[in-house]
Amino acid sequence: MIAYFTNLASLGAIFCILAATLNVAVGYAGIFSVAHAVFFGLGAYAGAQVSLLLIPDALVAMVVAALVAGALSLCLALPALRVRGEYFVAASLGLQMMAVTLFSEAKTLTGGIGGLTGIPRPHILGVEVSTLPVALAALALILLATALLMRGSFGRTLQAIRDGESAAEALGKNVAAAKALAVAFACAGAGVAGALFAMHMQFVNVESFNLDQSVLIMAMVIIGGTGTLWGPLVGAVILLSLPAGLAFMPFIPSTEVGAVQQIIYGLAMTLLMVFRPAGLVGDLSRGKSHA
Amino acid sequence: MNGFKAGRRAVLGGLAAAPYIGQARAQGTSPSGDPYIVGTLFPMSGPNAEYGSVFTAGAALAVQHINADSMLRRPVRIQAEDTQALPQQAVVGMTKLVNVDRAHYVLSAFTAVSKAVAPVGDRAKTVMVNGGAVGPDLSGLSPYFWNVIPLAHLETQALLPFMMQRNLKRVALVYVDDPLGDAILGILRTALPQVGGSLVGQFSVPRTAQQFAPVAARIRQTRPDAVYIASFGAQQSQIIKQLRDNGVSQPLVSYSAMNIDSVRTLTEAEGLIFTTQSTDFEGGDAVTRRFATDFKARHNADPGTYQVNYYNAVRLFGLLAQSLERENAEVNGENLRRVLLAQREFDLVGGKGRFDELGNMSAALQITEIRGGRLVKVG
Amino acid sequence: MLLLQLLLQGLQVGALYALTAAGFALIFGATRIFHFAHGSAFTLAGYTFLFATQAGWPWYLGGLAGVVVATLFGLGIYWFVYRPIQRHEGSFFTVFVAAFGVGIVVQNLIGMFAGRGFASVDTPLSRAVEVLPDVYLAEVFWVAIGLSLLLFLLLTLFLTRHNAGVALRALHQNPDLLRAYGLSSTKLSLLAFAVGSALAAPAAILTAMTSGLNEAIGHQVMLISMAATIVGGVGSLRGAALAGLMLGVAEAVALSFVDTQWAEAVSFLVLFAFIIFRPSGIFGITQAR
Repeated sequence: MIAYFTNLASLGAIFCILAATLNVAVGYAGIFSVAHAVFFGLGAYAGAQVSLLLIPDALVAMVVAALVAGALSLCLALPALRVRGEYFVAASLGLQMMAVTLFSEAKTLTGGIGGLTGIPRPHILGVEVSTLPVALAALALILLATALLMRGSFGRTLQAIRDGESAAEALGKNVAAAKALAVAFACAGAGVAGALFAMHMQFVNVESFNLDQSVLIMAMVIIGGTGTLWGPLVGAVILLSLPAGLAFMPFIPSTEVGAVQQIIYGLAMTLLMVFRPAGLVGDLSRGKSHA
Repeated sequence: MNGFKAGRRAVLGGLAAAPYIGQARAQGTSPSGDPYIVGTLFPMSGPNAEYGSVFTAGAALAVQHINADSMLRRPVRIQAEDTQALPQQAVVGMTKLVNVDRAHYVLSAFTAVSKAVAPVGDRAKTVMVNGGAVGPDLSGLSPYFWNVIPLAHLETQALLPFMMQRNLKRVALVYVDDPLGDAILGILRTALPQVGGSLVGQFSVPRTAQQFAPVAARIRQTRPDAVYIASFGAQQSQIIKQLRDNGVSQPLVSYSAMNIDSVRTLTEAEGLIFTTQSTDFEGGDAVTRRFATDFKARHNADPGTYQVNYYNAVRLFGLLAQSLERENAEVNGENLRRVLLAQREFDLVGGKGRFDELGNMSAALQITEIRGGRLVKVG
Repeated sequence: MLLLQLLLQGLQVGALYALTAAGFALIFGATRIFHFAHGSAFTLAGYTFLFATQAGWPWYLGGLAGVVVATLFGLGIYWFVYRPIQRHEGSFFTVFVAAFGVGIVVQNLIGMFAGRGFASVDTPLSRAVEVLPDVYLAEVFWVAIGLSLLLFLLLTLFLTRHNAGVALRALHQNPDLLRAYGLSSTKLSLLAFAVGSALAAPAAILTAMTSGLNEAIGHQVMLISMAATIVGGVGSLRGAALAGLMLGVAEAVALSFVDTQWAEAVSFLVLFAFIIFRPSGIFGITQAR
């Protein structure tokens, strides 16, 4: 039982990192990316390759993954600087779909659909460690960095951009740099989560980095509440524990378990948006201005 | 920061408790009437859910037979976990089966799922048995990972002589670029020329592709004698229908994944030739006949290869556990593996099943053709 | 010859893309709702037709049933999901998540009740014959092209000549003006959803005959419709339809230049390129920024 919860908690911490970093783009900068799984994947592949080829050190893997994902975040920053709103969602969807094809085809780096196996468990300075404390430490650091950044002038610039880009520009804020930086921070964070994911699962393949995963991460942020520090974490925990909790219900016929889980998941997404559009943690009056 | 502390405590607790898990399981074996748990990691939702219901039907019938015969001292129960055929969900399901349900035996399917759960089962020494996926990289994943299905390279090899005999020498391949498709591509590339044939075209398609009319046009250009399809799930029927609709009239050939209802009942699949394990439901031994009769009574349909495989997987558990109960040994992964390697040969549906030291079962293959919605043995 | 064959196949698929994209663009243009559950209307219509045919209904009744179900779905989702969210002034992203949830529910309900996996309607219409050396064409090609042209003609007439149609086009530009004329924007939004969703039905029915259905097909339909709407230029129905046609053709014709596994990525490459280099789309007038 404890091992089961440790495993769930590790995955939970990884998804909390994903949701928290996506929230920096969505909630603070108003960049609605549906391609977060791409950078999650980039980090996972980078971390896995570092562990497999160089050294199975969790810290090295996470740093490399963050650098790779952060550098390639330019793919997302470019459309983010050109377009907004629905257009950007479409652009990120396009990026997501292309990335899946690339991940499947670049077999030497990603193993294709077959994936990478035999990834060593995480080590720190040569000692094998459990994923959970590493993931929790990474999460805490990222939350701390987010809180500090958003309280500073950078955060104020971002929020000015979110609430009115032209006005922010007129005030002499460097909109392009701030947006690019927010995207880079979010994507590097997703890369860290990816490296942890690869070492925790000991196996990665492209199926963990598809559109459904991106939507799941995004749903975590929205359901929890955008632009709040804790909202995305609440969303991540709820969405991850929903199927796990349903798995304990004995009265659902075994052949329909999956469908019933999915229906409840879908219904929860819809109903929450109808009745609490600002998310569970979000402040309703503030949610309105995000249109 | 509260969450952080609580989490750390949970980890420390987890580490401390780990050595006792084995003992807890040992106590469970005492004659308390607790059922043996057979876990299933099948896709019960998503695009591959059709397989999940098919696999479950075979396993459920075996459980029913074992319980009805009082083959074991304790009843057997199935615990289903939905994987959607995705690795991440599978690992969560597998950890639950191992740590919460304390599964004695886990049935797995799909290549990515199997590769993802193998390290979990390996660490917990829980036996995992695959009866659905045929990727050749599934051999030797772990001492506790067994296959009750011949892997794909064997199937393709078996088909080649038959194709030459029918004068199907120029072959075009439509494949999903995963380890399975890769393996089939490799065999066609190297083994076809050796028997006098040639691979005239290879067309990789994404797993999520829906439109195959343009692929059909490219295939026609290569002027093949036959088209080999290496995909699985809903996509197979889509490929068959669209190739036939778009002027590909040559014989279509494939492997055992075609053995599902949606393909069998598809009008366009008439004449499809593919390899499966050979099972003679009418004339076979008692085990086979009983399986076929009861399956027909229950589902009003002939059983397919997958139902046979997962029936066999569960029946294998029954036989192994029976031996262990006789010697009063605990039913756990290590002991199950010990008995498997000691006995090697078992009476299963379709005849004797033989296992090699990696836990791979070999079985006789046959070549079938779909005629009028039924499978007819042709070689 | 290969190029001609691919072009013809691309046109057939593209015509169907154009229909669904036009429905999506109509809804988005009139109501500013990015209707991500548009694919569900498609799936429901396709399966309704499938069931009707299996139950022995004649094709026109089955088709009608498909259109009715798609329309009802469109009306229902607007009334029960989008309208409450808009009343709260939820962001467009809220709409996106809600719509995605609906898509998941529909997909799994269909899986539970209609079975999972591939399903198609058996018809001689989809069987291609050789019309030119090495060029195969099925009758369904003419049906797809003809039906699309007819529906676009009707739609154009409705939007330019009929009062409700004209009002629909004006809804997005100036809702207050409409209110001043005593027209209800709720009623017009319902109309947009009804017409837009109904447009998905013919494409779904033809898809059931040609490439076949599965319960998860709505996903792809939604992505293509969205890509076509953006590439065509938001607000332009003509652009969306043309872009849909173009994406279909691009996917097919690309196969004479690249290997088959890249076909799917072509649409999204086109989409991505448009967003970077010409965000206003083919016919877009408004600047995206």
